[in-house]
Amino acid sequence: MTNLFFNRRFTINLSIILGLLILVTSSCCKDPEPDPEPDKNTGKIHLDFDFLVDGNPLEYDTLMYVNAAGNHYLVYEVQYFVTQVTIYQKGGKVKVLDGWEKEHYIDTNIPSTMSWDVYDDLEEGNYDSLSFRFGFIDADNQSFMFVNPPENAMVWPEYSGGGYHYMKIDGKWVAPSGNFRGFAFHIGRGQVYDSNNNPISFIDNSYYVTLDKSNFVVAKGKYTNLIIRMHVDQWFTSPKVYDHNVWGGDIMQNQDAMAVGVENGWNVFELVQP
Amino acid sequence: MENKKIFSWAMIALVLMLSLTYACKKDDPIPPEPDVKPATPYNFVVPKGFPTILNIPEDNPMTVEGVKLGRYLFYDGRLSGRDDPDSLMSCATCHLQSSAFEIGKNHPKYPDGHPYGLTGIYTPHYPLPLFNLIWNSEGYLWNGFISKDNHNLGIPSYGIPAEPQYHLTNIESLVWMGVVAKHEMHGTIEMTENMIRSIEMYPPLFEAAFGTKEINIDRISKSIAQFIRTIISADSKFDKVIRGEANFTQSEQRGWVLFTTEPGADCFHCHGAPGNPLMTTNLFYNNAKDTIFNDPRDRYGVTKNPRDHGAYKSTTLRNIELTGPYMHDGRFKTLDEVINFYSEGLVYSEYAHPLMHKLDEPYGHGADLNPLQKADLKAFLLTLTDHTLLTNPDYSNPF
Repeated sequence: MTNLFFNRRFTINLSIILGLLILVTSSCCKDPEPDPEPDKNTGKIHLDFDFLVDGNPLEYDTLMYVNAAGNHYLVYEVQYFVTQVTIYQKGGKVKVLDGWEKEHYIDTNIPSTMSWDVYDDLEEGNYDSLSFRFGFIDADNQSFMFVNPPENAMVWPEYSGGGYHYMKIDGKWVAPSGNFRGFAFHIGRGQVYDSNNNPISFIDNSYYVTLDKSNFVVAKGKYTNLIIRMHVDQWFTSPKVYDHNVWGGDIMQNQDAMAVGVENGWNVFELVQP
Repeated sequence: MENKKIFSWAMIALVLMLSLTYACKKDDPIPPEPDVKPATPYNFVVPKGFPTILNIPEDNPMTVEGVKLGRYLFYDGRLSGRDDPDSLMSCATCHLQSSAFEIGKNHPKYPDGHPYGLTGIYTPHYPLPLFNLIWNSEGYLWNGFISKDNHNLGIPSYGIPAEPQYHLTNIESLVWMGVVAKHEMHGTIEMTENMIRSIEMYPPLFEAAFGTKEINIDRISKSIAQFIRTIISADSKFDKVIRGEANFTQSEQRGWVLFTTEPGADCFHCHGAPGNPLMTTNLFYNNAKDTIFNDPRDRYGVTKNPRDHGAYKSTTLRNIELTGPYMHDGRFKTLDEVINFYSEGLVYSEYAHPLMHKLDEPYGHGADLNPLQKADLKAFLLTLTDHTLLTNPDYSNPF
């Protein structure tokens, strides 16, 4: 009887201990569980950025390219911004990818910038096209908005309009003297000068790039990989032939030269599904 | 039976205590050692417009006590491991506050601006100023050898073993390297550790900074690095103009335009603008000053990338008036010589950075500035002198 009583008491005590153990462990030990994901019919996209010249992957620092003007040239580095990346779904739905970052900086010297896991959840289904703005619209191109490197090194001085470079392509071409000469094919805000060569107004040189032959599918719960490809040679090709011997090594204060770049930019980019 | 009840409830209590201890243990702070006050976190204030990314290693958070200790060590000539008057050397021997923590002009010991170590060996390169280093994540020294990307440990040729405290990644590395470098203190780690241990004032300072009185090169390096990270230049006339507290003169304004325009002097691509107030990208460029490249300590010496032949760090232009001689080899003694170089002294090589685009017609050998433009550019550069840095008592010699 005593043993039986003791065993019953022991069993009760053991139950209390176990119950309390569970209570204590669950209250103290566990990190809070995230809310369960709602059963969304969404996926995500991952963007890579790459560069071709004459249809082949860009080889840096190598004098192996000839542009449409006949300039022998090499490419040292490319840095640029894309903003307002937007995808279009069949049926007319539009989605601007701005869930976490409204712009993305690409720098051939920094491999991590050449891919982008886009934060936004995207409705599953077929998409017609992707577009983005090359550079920034004026309203978004605010000086001091980037305080950290590498983006802050893209600063576009106030005298020339302020904000940031949309793009830098640094390279060299063989000048008529036979020497290498550096070119800084830099595009950003343009300027209108008065007769004394003082800037009196500025020009938004950014433009939309619509990659409308870019059908792709976003699948539920998966990443869709896409590549935004820059054909570097196209900046110098059509509709206007860009001749480094004409425009020289620096064009930031030369709206006419930047305008040629912008015009030629119409078919520089391509969307590729690997 | 009563005993058994007591036993049962005692068991419950014991298990509960153990459970609570186990369940909550990982969140409990490690109790401090008795009688040692935890170090006080240092409140680093980022000036408006400056980068918010700070190069502070995880294993060396800044504390008030660490900075205080580091300031003493920075100025203590016994860091060399010797105490006879002729053999004293510290960071401050070469990096004078009055010269923006550089050698500067008219240095009492190194009048030509080129320092040498305790045994008379000249440094391979001229020094760089020690301010705003907390914002440099692109590597230290003229070639960026000291960098987060450098995974080597120790220096075998100096007998420094491949141990974690002898990393080559950050400001801390520069301290222990200075102790052993033949062109600097030319001492040993042991000499320095023993010397600092023997000085009565230091054990309590180490205890306050690190929790115990132990003195070793790792803690010496960390505390000096903490102090160096506090040294900030952000209050020049240029800064005041940007903040709306002052105005440029007409000459300074014209110089500013030259500085930031490509047809002008085009300095800003490498040396900053209001949106990059460090006045440097901290990156590396061949700035067209040579045709032959045989310095084993250029950027190529680190990367082995042919594009980096003859490339060196773009130095900050803050306090440039005070930080001559200029370039890695001190070839230009005055600011005027530097301006003349960029105006008409560039020399052609295939390794010149593309941004040095004035090496051919229609420019020739540089920006081709006229005398007025040179004067204006210099006037602007002089606005980068920060007298607050030069006189800030927090950075001064505490002895």
